[in-house]
Amino acid sequence: MQDVLNATTLGSIYLLFALGMALVWGTIGILNFAHGATFMFAAFIGHLVTARVELPLLGVIAVAVLVGALISVLTQLLAFQPILKRAKNRHAAELRILIAGIGVAAIPLAIAQRQTRSTPFGLRSSYSPQVYEVFGLRITTTAIIIIVLGLVIGIGMTLWLRRSRHGLALRALGVDAETSAGMGVNRTTLAFGTMAVAGGLAGLAGALLTLQLGAIAPETGDQLIIKAFAIIVLGGLGSMAGTVIGAYVLAGAETLVLVMNWGTWVDAVSFGLIFLILLARPQGLLGRKEVRRT
Amino acid sequence: MSTWYAMNVVLVQTTLTTLLLALSIQVPLRFGVFSFAGVGAFGIGGYGSAIAMVHLGWSTWPAVAFGAVVAGLVVFLLGLVVQRLTGLYMGMATIAFTLIVSVLAVNGGDLTGGAMGLYGALGEISVLQILLVVLLVVALLHLTELGGMGRRVDAVRDDPELANALGVDVVRYRQFSFLVSGLIGGLAGAITTLLRSTITPAEVNFHLVILALTAIVVGGSRSWVGALIGAVIFVWLPTWIGFLAEWERVAYGVIVAVAAIYLPLGVLGVAKDLWHRFRTREERARVAALAKES
Repeated sequence: MQDVLNATTLGSIYLLFALGMALVWGTIGILNFAHGATFMFAAFIGHLVTARVELPLLGVIAVAVLVGALISVLTQLLAFQPILKRAKNRHAAELRILIAGIGVAAIPLAIAQRQTRSTPFGLRSSYSPQVYEVFGLRITTTAIIIIVLGLVIGIGMTLWLRRSRHGLALRALGVDAETSAGMGVNRTTLAFGTMAVAGGLAGLAGALLTLQLGAIAPETGDQLIIKAFAIIVLGGLGSMAGTVIGAYVLAGAETLVLVMNWGTWVDAVSFGLIFLILLARPQGLLGRKEVRRT
Repeated sequence: MSTWYAMNVVLVQTTLTTLLLALSIQVPLRFGVFSFAGVGAFGIGGYGSAIAMVHLGWSTWPAVAFGAVVAGLVVFLLGLVVQRLTGLYMGMATIAFTLIVSVLAVNGGDLTGGAMGLYGALGEISVLQILLVVLLVVALLHLTELGGMGRRVDAVRDDPELANALGVDVVRYRQFSFLVSGLIGGLAGAITTLLRSTITPAEVNFHLVILALTAIVVGGSRSWVGALIGAVIFVWLPTWIGFLAEWERVAYGVIVAVAAIYLPLGVLGVAKDLWHRFRTREERARVAALAKES
């Protein structure tokens, strides 16, 4: 049972991280490879700030969310927007965006590695987690916050994308960007908004994971990118509900591997999943059939 | 000359092996396949040759050939499996493949030496021999850039439907590009490993993907000359500029992002553009002069 609880906490972190990436990729069609670096750097700035001033829990989280959103918007403004403007066709733009994302991701990673000498860093806050025991299960307040936030934001995002007008506009962009732009959807504004939300979620995930583990290494973001990709592919591109399910499935599978004492194989789970899903069911569990744009 | 050579022999070696690694990613790109499997092949080739030397007691060049052939075969089989994927999906599946190679190496027990890697595979390789291998590879690749073959490869990349209609077997060409990528990547890995006498799983990581990609993106992705320019820039630049050595990785990131945004065809593309413009102007002047005379 304790393992199930751990898997749920891990899954919620994955979910918060992957939701932003899935939102951006599924709607405005950008696979943001700098998402992992955004996640890490938001936590890193939080680390620098809290090293000077002690902040309450909400303050730490607010710093991380704001920094995440800021980095994400800057990436869009300085890298992705110019590429979209200059590229001749979608296919060429996709590859250049991926490469630019890899380049952008290297910058904050290198800065953080230099500052910390590649050692893990943590967050200082006036908040101290309590440990509860319910039915013999140990759970910290941090874990409760992570699980609740993960579920609320995950389900909220799914509903918002399905019900609201903005959600409709975003989904329309994901299906056919040109037609929806012709129908009055402001693509540029929505792109910036989406990137800001995604970056904020990355920052949130960064702060929460750091609080949960005590410290994270600068390279954590790189590993999460591949995992988030596995989650999105598993759930199906463009489907938020699929992302929610994918996050918990991956976390469950990884926890299972850990419990079975095959610890060194944990990373192979996500890599293997990417392979299996892409080969067997490329549209994912809940994805639309026509989602694969070439 | 000889003192300069003695001082920089390691850099010369690194330039040549980096060139091979960059070529292993560039070849599939030239065929329109976004594959990073060459870096996985680097790992397979390195481990293959080290295993042949350490466990089987083979001599240097048979071990290198063994590593390269195994890598070529594995990547070719991978190509058969993933050939239906396109664009980003192909890119991520091959990145997953590369990282799986590293996980397998960690879990390989005595055969691969686990997380510590394999030691004591010191081959006898002179710079002249590497140079000959590189020249052979480059000469063969140059043939695919000339005349009818070059135009067919361009068509396979830029317009696969058109290529198909013209009777070019796109699928066969792309499978072939996987085989070549695997062989070259394997060669790069085998030579690098036997020069250094060790290989560890941590070497086959995401950073290697970035290095290879950087060299191509900056140099130019359409010709082996571009890969050569990129390899030279990235191996020698830090030694020329002390400032860069300190901020090497930050500079990598900035350069990759800027190149992806503003120079999609790399330094070579810019040079060709300028040359073309210069020629056109000269030609126009000549025609104008002729017109005046008559």
